[in-house]
Amino acid sequence: MAETTKTQPAHWLTLQSNGSGGPRGCRIESVGVKLPARRLTTADLMSRTSHRTRIQLERLTGIHERRVVGPGENSFTLATGAARDCLSHSHHQASDIEMLINTSITRSKGGSNQSFEPPLSLYVKQAIGATRAVNFDLSNACAGMLTGVFVLQDLVARGEISCGMAVSGEYISHLSWNAARQIRSIFSKQLASLTLGDAGAAVIVERAPDGAGIDVIGFTTLAEHSRLCLAFPSSVGPGAQMYTKSRTLHKVAIEDMAPLVAETIGEAGINLADIDYLIPHQTSARAIRAGTQEFVRQLGAKPKHVVVNLEEYGNTSSTTLFVALHKYLEEQKMRKGDRVMLLALASGIEIGIAIFTIDNLVDSYGHTH
Amino acid sequence: MGTRIDAAFAQAGNGGRRATARRLADAAARNCLALAGRRPADVDMLINVGIYREDSMGEPALAALIQEDIGANLGHPPAGGSGTFSFDLLNGACGVITAVQVESGLLSSGVIRLGAVVSSDVQPDPENHGAHFLRSAGGAMLLRWDDSLTGFTDFSSETFPEYEDLFTSGLVWRKRSGIRVPRQGTGRNQMTVTVKPGYHARLADCAEEATRRFLTRVGMSIEDIDLLIPSPCAAGFLDPLRARLGIPGDRVAYTPEDLEGTHTTGPIAALQAAIKSGRLEEAQNTLLVAAGAGITVALALYRQTPP
Repeated sequence: MAETTKTQPAHWLTLQSNGSGGPRGCRIESVGVKLPARRLTTADLMSRTSHRTRIQLERLTGIHERRVVGPGENSFTLATGAARDCLSHSHHQASDIEMLINTSITRSKGGSNQSFEPPLSLYVKQAIGATRAVNFDLSNACAGMLTGVFVLQDLVARGEISCGMAVSGEYISHLSWNAARQIRSIFSKQLASLTLGDAGAAVIVERAPDGAGIDVIGFTTLAEHSRLCLAFPSSVGPGAQMYTKSRTLHKVAIEDMAPLVAETIGEAGINLADIDYLIPHQTSARAIRAGTQEFVRQLGAKPKHVVVNLEEYGNTSSTTLFVALHKYLEEQKMRKGDRVMLLALASGIEIGIAIFTIDNLVDSYGHTH
Repeated sequence: MGTRIDAAFAQAGNGGRRATARRLADAAARNCLALAGRRPADVDMLINVGIYREDSMGEPALAALIQEDIGANLGHPPAGGSGTFSFDLLNGACGVITAVQVESGLLSSGVIRLGAVVSSDVQPDPENHGAHFLRSAGGAMLLRWDDSLTGFTDFSSETFPEYEDLFTSGLVWRKRSGIRVPRQGTGRNQMTVTVKPGYHARLADCAEEATRRFLTRVGMSIEDIDLLIPSPCAAGFLDPLRARLGIPGDRVAYTPEDLEGTHTTGPIAALQAAIKSGRLEEAQNTLLVAAGAGITVALALYRQTPP
């Protein structure tokens, strides 16, 4: 019996780069979002807690407001809206999509708080007309969308598909309302639930004709800390409740992130200072600042810009990276040739890092402003 | 050169309190690793495809908890070390085949060297008899690259959305009635499972149609298939499928009685039976077919021929 002969260079991350996969490059072709129209300020949310908490949430997290769903909106409508927006920025038709992965934590649809079967991806692909697409759901907490891109990258690089979509609709604000009923102090394990906002996001990944695009994408699960953030169906109201040991989670993530970032930039053959925009998972402004300082301490460099959009949207769970990327594209802050690092951090602890170069992706954005 | 099935293990829950989805998955993963003579640290990727858990936990991915429980590359990432990447993939009864497709690709690219697919389901809501439709079970299989055989060559996943409402499941909020008891919840999120009449018959119809299309695509006929590994194994699905495809019973891997009625573990249970009987080893061309809600039909061709 022949032994395994394929060996990957010794990385802690499960890593795909332009050289490690198939003969083809892979690029982000378009990004779409669907944000609910309704806004909920942090002051308004905190005024509705059942107990007098004295928590200065806005000062603590940097979140001024977040979007929350209105009547008739749920995970399905947000995902479908984002997928349609993504197609409106794309040169692809829905019928070109060969694989559609729904990556949201929440999967509410119709009367169901959480749909299990059939997968939500089936309903999304039917709604947008991507009838040719193979579909399935993927769940990886707040790292879900980037995990979807990771899966698509390999399929595209090997030529198995030429175009795929990762989509997520997160109607997750019910965790905030459930937490607001019970939270009493800043030490509550449900504190992180108050930072959440609703959003949908979608991304199309396709073959890169000239081999540019995603330089490297890597993931790992630091499973020793898998129980630091747990979410379950609620017993106080529809939806779920989440219990997070936030301080420990951030401490571990900040300490372990730097060597993983070093692996990724090493694979890409660049320095952290070569990154024009770092888009980290949006949890709190303080945590993002602390993480950036740790990069400087451990790696001796920092990215040129660190994207923080918490003030407007809060933590939109699996969609944060792509909501932020979409905003910067629409505001025309990014230019061709800019190098972007997406940094996913999620319960698990899941850490995912992708580095890509902005190409003519920018041409489809900014015309609405 | 191709992806080889290194080992497969499936086990039914004994119905006791300890048979949680996580514990069933943990036990299956440990037993599968022992069968293959592998260490947990060898696993580069762990995909959990189980759907129904006693707690319906939303995050983290159950795969991360399984990784921690079996002790696969825990601790801090040191330079030069190797980690494990775990996540959940949800595609109902077809999840195993979809996860094999994902891992087979990454093995082919050299991104991973050993992949694990883990499944487990328990009765999602013991208080709700309407949601009792499966046998609690856990399963695991290991995949690795092998230069001496063709391995998994082709995959297909087809959906028949005209039948999407024949099998549906989800959590629905039910407010507690009666006198409110302090410190007791005001209600609960109840798992609701709806299986409409004719579901299994339509599954067989769709599986036959998808199988014929798949075989045409890969340039084979049903006579070329030495072994069919089907899921589910319910007679209402398997008997009409087998008859219509014209495949004799001695070329079908039957799931043993104690593993009948499992959900996402179905393909692993049938695979384990085929390995134990020696029929997988003898077969040159093995076809895995799974069908479930959607209706979704997933197929995979496994070839034990020289590359």
